[in-house]
Amino acid sequence: MSRFAFVRRRLLHLVPVVLGVTVLVFLMIHLVPGDPARTMLGVHATDQAVAVLHHQWGLDRPLPQQYLLFLGRLLRGNLGDSLFYRVPTAQLVAERMPATLWLLAFATVLATVISVPLATIAATRRNALRDHVIRAIPLVGLGMPPFWVGILLILALALTLRAFPVGGYGHGIGGHLRSMFLPGLTVAIGISPLLIRSLRASMLNVLESEYVTTARAKGLPAHRLLLRHVLHNAVIPAVTVLGINIGFLVGGTLVVENVFALPGIGNLMLTAIFNRDFPVVQGVTLVFGVLVVTVNLLTDVTYALLDPRVRFD
Amino acid sequence: MIRSELALRDGRIGVMDAGGWEMRVSSRWGLVVALALVAAACGGGQSEQTGSVGQPRRGGDLVIARVADSQSMDKTTVFDNESIWIFEQVFETLYTVRPDGQGVIPWLATSYDLSPDKLTYTFHLRQGVRFSTGQPMTSKDVKFSIDEARAAKQGWGYIDTAIKDVQAPDPTTVVIHTKFPWAPLLADLALFANGIVPSNYGGASKSEFYQHPVGTGPFKWDHWTKGQELKLVRNPNYWQAGKPYLNSVTWTVVGDDNTRILQLKGGQIQIDEFPPWSSVASLKSTPGVVMGLLPSTRTDYLVLNERLAPFKDVHVRRAISYALDREAMVRAVLFGNGKPANSFMPPQVPFYDSSSPGITHDPDQAKREMAQSSMPNGFSTTLMVGAGTVTENSLAQIIQQALKPLGITVTLQRVDPTTEFTNLQKFDYQMGFSYWTMDIADPDELVTFAVDPTSGSHSFFTDYANKDVIGWTHQAQRSFDVAQRRQLYNQIQAQAAKDAFLGFLYYSPYAYAYSSKVNGFHVTPMGNYHLEDVWLGG
Repeated sequence: MSRFAFVRRRLLHLVPVVLGVTVLVFLMIHLVPGDPARTMLGVHATDQAVAVLHHQWGLDRPLPQQYLLFLGRLLRGNLGDSLFYRVPTAQLVAERMPATLWLLAFATVLATVISVPLATIAATRRNALRDHVIRAIPLVGLGMPPFWVGILLILALALTLRAFPVGGYGHGIGGHLRSMFLPGLTVAIGISPLLIRSLRASMLNVLESEYVTTARAKGLPAHRLLLRHVLHNAVIPAVTVLGINIGFLVGGTLVVENVFALPGIGNLMLTAIFNRDFPVVQGVTLVFGVLVVTVNLLTDVTYALLDPRVRFD
Repeated sequence: MIRSELALRDGRIGVMDAGGWEMRVSSRWGLVVALALVAAACGGGQSEQTGSVGQPRRGGDLVIARVADSQSMDKTTVFDNESIWIFEQVFETLYTVRPDGQGVIPWLATSYDLSPDKLTYTFHLRQGVRFSTGQPMTSKDVKFSIDEARAAKQGWGYIDTAIKDVQAPDPTTVVIHTKFPWAPLLADLALFANGIVPSNYGGASKSEFYQHPVGTGPFKWDHWTKGQELKLVRNPNYWQAGKPYLNSVTWTVVGDDNTRILQLKGGQIQIDEFPPWSSVASLKSTPGVVMGLLPSTRTDYLVLNERLAPFKDVHVRRAISYALDREAMVRAVLFGNGKPANSFMPPQVPFYDSSSPGITHDPDQAKREMAQSSMPNGFSTTLMVGAGTVTENSLAQIIQQALKPLGITVTLQRVDPTTEFTNLQKFDYQMGFSYWTMDIADPDELVTFAVDPTSGSHSFFTDYANKDVIGWTHQAQRSFDVAQRRQLYNQIQAQAAKDAFLGFLYYSPYAYAYSSKVNGFHVTPMGNYHLEDVWLGG
């Protein structure tokens, strides 16, 4: 199967997965108690006002009909209007998506920048002191909750050194880059221990393989050996780890977005769940679903590009 | 501060006292009244207004960080404060709340005449008021705006139910006919929902208009990036000469309490809206930060579902109320920054009775009441608590312990806050928590919601119904006699306490931490602030 046929087939798989996600989320959010009209009206919720809002939002219709209406709108590319913000859900998602994507991208880059050199150093001196240190210290990062790491970073780098802003998203590319460094680092600190360990383990495997011995025997310089032969092959399992963790990452950004006051999609989702803003919850879940499936697909494609033995089938 | 300047410029100031009577005073008296208002605003135990040291300085951008985003700028149907406090800088009303919350003062109207039958109000509009677009404000706009608010069935329409019609006989005069004599009318007109917008939304559709609202207020719309920031900029056409001082105000959304405090310390924001009570003491001693604890109308309650057997019994309700150690609650939950409640009405509302005995902590009296009740040996019940809400969880544990000696076993029912709200409103609870903050500078709205089961909220969702209390409430609505209204509201407060329909818990202030560079920032007990008075020092 060609690469394109493979991608096309996987994209088609996306449809039932996403549809399944929408059904689950629709049922879950509608079946838990809690009424958006009563939340919005608060103590001023008269029976009449509640009824008016229910009718306006179509919540007085049977649940299957509500789902079909949602699906019908979806097919026309309409995610519905937010009950609370009173603007199209798609607009909200589009406004909030960049911050989350920035965060994910920044975190991935920082995690790679942290993990690759450390894993390489550790793998080349197996069981030496620096190997133990590199394996042990990041584990502390894994054990620390992100909101705490975030506050520590803010205290040290933003408040004391004034090197970065205390939260916020900033304005313009430069502003975003400065603002996203600390949140990106917070997420990277959480994910790096996994990457370092998997990368180190696979590098050790590769280092023991025969082709590396051959390359060494040929007199290949150490840096070239490491970069071209060892790292290139060892990075494959690490890509898988990163890919699998993307779902976890998307979920994890929620806490980080809150600590750093980032207008991301995680924050939007949290508010929407609390307010029972059904169209937004459904819309964001759909986007999350598509995002996770797409990243998994990209991981597979990258895997195949890195390892020519992998076949598209 | 603004009130004194107004009084001097206009030569007269109409002040509505708590009863609804307007006093027209000469310029000399205007100054006296204005100074008294300023004194009222600055005085009081917890009141803190940032010291206006030196001359106001023009320019600067103010950033206010708050825990949640606004919902919508539609003034007629939005109930969340995070929206209201912002669009109040854009839309203004005919009358506005006094700094001390004890009445209203003229704003876009300068005065009114009341017909002898008390059914016709004729308002005289302020000259020279223009919308931020430059278009003059006329009676046509006022009529359109109030009619719009009245029509909002799922919104604030109920506040204007006494209004029969609104007429605009000439550009500077508005006539409002009421269906019956209605004492709280001026206070109702001072509600933000009755803010003035251009007639027919200036040609835009309603939804377009509220995406980019236009008003006569000190600031005009700039942009709103949802979840991030909402920015307003100076309205160059503002009717108060020289104001506002600030170039712009930006409200950011910073959900994490610690981050907001760190941003304030780092100078990234100037005002932190509602820092947690646990941080108040440390903020008080932080250099460059002012910890403002401003008198509010927030009153917290323990609500009891009177549709269920144990709570139908007044002795059970009284026993519970006597068992509550409100001082301990203030210490544990508010870190001492509040005071026990003696009435369901807060001290900052007109006709609050400070001498109303209420029900105070008395464990022996609680046992005596329990012994007289239909359940002398106690019973088991549940207390609904918002999961993750620190305050409610602390209160719930105190209440659980307090009711044990009465034989009342309380199980905590933890649900998420939205479910808590819904369950409460559907009477699907036994005991729960609720609170109220005033919207208007008249007790009528609160009292109606609290004690009249025919009002929308079924007596704060307790179903409490006392015919006498309901009758007095209706009488007070239609009486223009201040002394009579006071007498009626005193009776209502005393009887409501006797009936123990709610456990009145405590009154808490509004907590705002702000940079010492911020001057002229004052929050009224209703929660409104006038940012045209605010300026940033060096």
